[in-house]
Amino acid sequence: MGTRIFTVILMVALVFTVALLAGPLGSIHLPGNQQGYEPPQPINFSHRLHAGEMQIACLYCHSGAQSSRHAGIPAASVCMNCHRVVTAPIGVIRAEDAQAEKEKRPPQPIVSPEIKKLYDALALNNKLQPDPTHQPQPIQWTKVHSLPDFVYFDHRPHVTAGVDCQTCHGAVENMERVKQAGDLSMGWCVNCHRDANRTGIAGKAVKAPVDCSACHY
Amino acid sequence: MSESNPKPYWKCPEERDAQENFLEAARDEFSEPVVVPTNGFGRRNFLKSAGFAVAAATLAGCSRAPVEKAIPFLVQPEEIIPGKAYFYASTCDGCSAACGMLVKNRDSRPIKLEGNPEHPVTRGGLCAVGQASLLGLYDSSRYLQPQAQGKPTTWDELDRAITAQLLAIRANKGAVRFLTGSIVSPTTRAQVRAFLKTFPVARHVVYDPLSSSAILDAHEGTHGSRLLPHYRFERAEVIVSFDADFLGTWISPVEFTAAYRAGRNPDAQPPRMSYHAQFESRMSITGSKADRRIRIAPNEIGLVMTQLAQRLAAKAGTKLNWNGLTASPMPEKELDDLAARLWAARGKSLVVCGEQEVAVQVLCNFINHLLGNYGATLDIEKPSFQRQGSDRELAALVEELRAGKVAALFTSGVNPVFDLPAGEEFAAALKRVPLVASFTERPDETSALAGYVCAAPHRLESWDDAEAVVGVVSLAQPAIRPLGNVRPLMETLAAWMGAPKSAYDLLRERWQKDVFPQQKSEKSFQAFWDRSVHDGFAVVEAEKSRVQSFQMAAVQPLAGTKPSAFSLVLYPKVGLLDGRHAYNPWLQELPDPVTKVTWDNYACLSPAAAKRLSVIEGDVVRLELASAAGSGNSIELPVYVQPGQHDSVVAVALGYGSKLSERFKHIGPSWFLAKLTTGDDGRVGKNAAPFVELRDGALHYSRADIRVTHTGGRRPLACTQSQNTIAVPKNLELPGVNRRPIVQETTLPVLLHGEAGGHEGQSNAAHEMWPADHPSTGHHWAMVVDMNACTGCSACVVACQAENNVPVVGRDEMLRHRSMHWMRIDRYYSGEDDAIDVAHQPFMCQQCGHAPCETVCPVLATVHSEEGLNQQIYNRCVGTRYCANNCPYKTRRFNWFDYLHDDTLQNMALNPDVAVRTRGVMEKCTFCVQRIQAAKIEAKQRGEKVADGAIQTACQQTCPAQAIVFGDRNDPKSRVSQLLKSGRNYAVLGEFNFQPSVGYLKIVRNRAESEGEKHNG
Repeated sequence: MGTRIFTVILMVALVFTVALLAGPLGSIHLPGNQQGYEPPQPINFSHRLHAGEMQIACLYCHSGAQSSRHAGIPAASVCMNCHRVVTAPIGVIRAEDAQAEKEKRPPQPIVSPEIKKLYDALALNNKLQPDPTHQPQPIQWTKVHSLPDFVYFDHRPHVTAGVDCQTCHGAVENMERVKQAGDLSMGWCVNCHRDANRTGIAGKAVKAPVDCSACHY
Repeated sequence: MSESNPKPYWKCPEERDAQENFLEAARDEFSEPVVVPTNGFGRRNFLKSAGFAVAAATLAGCSRAPVEKAIPFLVQPEEIIPGKAYFYASTCDGCSAACGMLVKNRDSRPIKLEGNPEHPVTRGGLCAVGQASLLGLYDSSRYLQPQAQGKPTTWDELDRAITAQLLAIRANKGAVRFLTGSIVSPTTRAQVRAFLKTFPVARHVVYDPLSSSAILDAHEGTHGSRLLPHYRFERAEVIVSFDADFLGTWISPVEFTAAYRAGRNPDAQPPRMSYHAQFESRMSITGSKADRRIRIAPNEIGLVMTQLAQRLAAKAGTKLNWNGLTASPMPEKELDDLAARLWAARGKSLVVCGEQEVAVQVLCNFINHLLGNYGATLDIEKPSFQRQGSDRELAALVEELRAGKVAALFTSGVNPVFDLPAGEEFAAALKRVPLVASFTERPDETSALAGYVCAAPHRLESWDDAEAVVGVVSLAQPAIRPLGNVRPLMETLAAWMGAPKSAYDLLRERWQKDVFPQQKSEKSFQAFWDRSVHDGFAVVEAEKSRVQSFQMAAVQPLAGTKPSAFSLVLYPKVGLLDGRHAYNPWLQELPDPVTKVTWDNYACLSPAAAKRLSVIEGDVVRLELASAAGSGNSIELPVYVQPGQHDSVVAVALGYGSKLSERFKHIGPSWFLAKLTTGDDGRVGKNAAPFVELRDGALHYSRADIRVTHTGGRRPLACTQSQNTIAVPKNLELPGVNRRPIVQETTLPVLLHGEAGGHEGQSNAAHEMWPADHPSTGHHWAMVVDMNACTGCSACVVACQAENNVPVVGRDEMLRHRSMHWMRIDRYYSGEDDAIDVAHQPFMCQQCGHAPCETVCPVLATVHSEEGLNQQIYNRCVGTRYCANNCPYKTRRFNWFDYLHDDTLQNMALNPDVAVRTRGVMEKCTFCVQRIQAAKIEAKQRGEKVADGAIQTACQQTCPAQAIVFGDRNDPKSRVSQLLKSGRNYAVLGEFNFQPSVGYLKIVRNRAESEGEKHNG
């Protein structure tokens, strides 16, 4: 008798859970699946602008992808390679130059609010000189592509084999804010490995492992 | 398999005698029955709730995982790439042997220590202590601040207070004493000397808690110079050791193991196999490797040496007026044979002695002198600095302290209140010294009584140097910014001398002045320095020390002293040594190489002695001096029955029962049946140091006239060796075969002249159970373990633990057969007490081709890889434990708990390339698959194949004896595939055709064929 009551309680609980949680049915996915994750970032960094419009190679900033397990997020010093010169969108600077010429005055330095965050992180003032009154503070980006701890993923063999970054990360060059394109599930990985073994990558035969211990150890 | 019966080997006496209850208890993988509740929340309800949980969790999947932050560098250091490991050369300071090591740094923190393969003295090995010393860095009990009167202070304040007192001491001509262990760093030594020079009355007193001062004193007598020879075991063809455990704990075990192994390589062309005879009272790992092992009471050593010296002198034509010698306790013929062997190997033999009696050491020198070994196997022109202690000066200091004549005492690297015999008296005397400062990393018995504690950095936090043997100078460099406000000894002394300077500057200055001129290869100092920092060492042409010719006057014959019912032998264990590492959980849980007991010390008795006292393992006995019975100077310890030990000896390990072990009270999982790891006094084991005797200017580690009484108490020992036997159960015994040939051995004559060893026990392909439809065409990883080289030193066990994030479980779990070590070293005995043979068999997952574990896993959590690995997938495992039950080799480990790393600082030592396993999953050796993958990725990047030797498993890397070879067996040129074809190779339980990927090379005993086993060809 006790077990029957128990069953009923469980069934009711299940129905309630479904009712509560199944509202936005479209977003149902298995636990751990973060497909479509697009968190806000501390700086509104645009991959569309940098990778798309400016056509900066992925590996320029994410150079770890060919030398380490992690592709890595570039250090602020890497950003400064360009942003020592580029302090605001070029259109805004040109407009100020034109305005200054018209008004016969030296142009004002313009720092866009997003790039200013970079300078703040490095404790630089508007003239890009170290500001002793401020402490440098590393930028805390929000991680988008996150694998569980029981998976070992290494960028190096993928880059070496010639896999395009977009294969896994989607068309980042079109994204204002980075969004997780794939579901990063094991089936998704293994299917790609199987396909690669069948068709090769960029016309080159490859041997993509499908052993468990290729990723799990 | 072979028809002949192999030599029987057994792990413990119960197994030898096939006691029914032992086999019954050891038969099951899991020691405790699984209790299934019969009423209440039964199976059906469980399944229903589980179904609900799954459904709910699926729906709950709508929610996002917690937000993770990625924080890059602001300015990336040029040489650091996040996620990539870097190695820095350094020097170990786990003991005074100063082995070369490499520090593996990941994301700016050290995560693993390895031997430095280029180091000319240690040749790539690192012992268990060296491996475990990493945990000392991430030790939450460390002093992170200097202390004054028990309270944290700043260095400025401490310096001010101490220099003010020193000023007064200088003015009053007070006696300053600097008490240290052997300082192998020449720069620190020079700094101490310079500091003491600023006082009118000052002395540097050096002692080693594991003293070898008698060797130095003996050389002072015979060669006119107080020095420790540099022993060259690799040059010796005959080695005779008297109670010196040179492969385990004596002076420089890693170096000696490498050298010993180099001299015992039956596969070399031409084969080299030294003959090793060991005289010893207890069973050491050195004795376990000997070709001839002779049990001898400690009081008989001098007598046997006298007899041996007399025989050799006769051969050498040296006239001795030794009359009325006591008869030898061992057969005359055997001594004659040994003398003949030694004489035949003149200049290529080596006699060493671990006894702390100067007269005995003088005899040892005399024997080596007669044999012409000085200059050949003993280097005294370029001696060793690994032991510098002078117990005579220590005794003088103790007298001074007793008399209250010391104005200031500084201690560094030693813990005299704990490790000296009269510790309590020492503590009382310390209270009368006006200024006591202790240079130490963590609170110990001495620092608790010191007015000032100068918090010392861990080895991985500071610059230092070391000169283990003359001519090889090593450097240690910091691999992490100090975790606390700590300062090295040499910097502190510089500050007190009024010239504050960093250790780096002090080192560079001295190297430029003293070391650089001793070499010719580099022209500029900067280039020399850079190369030395890169390599971790520099080989220089040092000045040879001046020694006199041999002084016969010192040599005196010795008679044996009268035998006593029991004498006590105090010995260091491979893991804990003198107790300085008692804080280290890896070393406390490391099974002793011989007894396989973890977490405790105990009184070892021979089987006959145990019978005489009618005690069995775990019975508590009281040990006290017969002369001082009832005086309170006694210890109570559980008995361990040690085959091969002398019947009149009770052996107890030093280094236990210290304050450092108080932290282990609650180690291990906390659950309702959990028991404390520590004993009644809140410490691990009992301190036996009060039984050490400081007599005749030497610390003596054996005491005659010990009374052993059975107290009636019991304390079971967490011994791993009687767990999980792979002996044949009675009902499955095959007729005529009552022992499985798990350990196989042969003798040198058989190996050299007999037929090829054959592959008995190799797979029986006629009874193939599986279709051959899985061709192995790519890599096939395999390992070969040379049991002849293995000494059982257990460095590999700790290396594996460090590499693979293996948790520590505590004594109670060990008692429940829940050890988590992926790698164990099985120790087997064979033969009778007087002629016992020991075998060490490192055992890890055998990565079977036909793995019995794989067929029983209901969820395919353990499956085979294309490269011959038996993979264990933690996230798929549901914890049925069927695999462990079905594993014939008993190499699988189950996570009964989340072995919480409560000590979060210690988690810094975790290897980020290996998953930390959760509760309820099975785990086992992976052949260090993370290293395989890393090497494959790197080879792929270079567009090359993985080179043979590019992958080194953690156990292989650290092995001082290079007993482990790993590689691709499908590559016919690889070392491993060639060794697998060797005549010595066999598979354990090969008759079952599991096709293990681990091969074992037979032990080779250097003795006549008739003495050895019947050849199993």
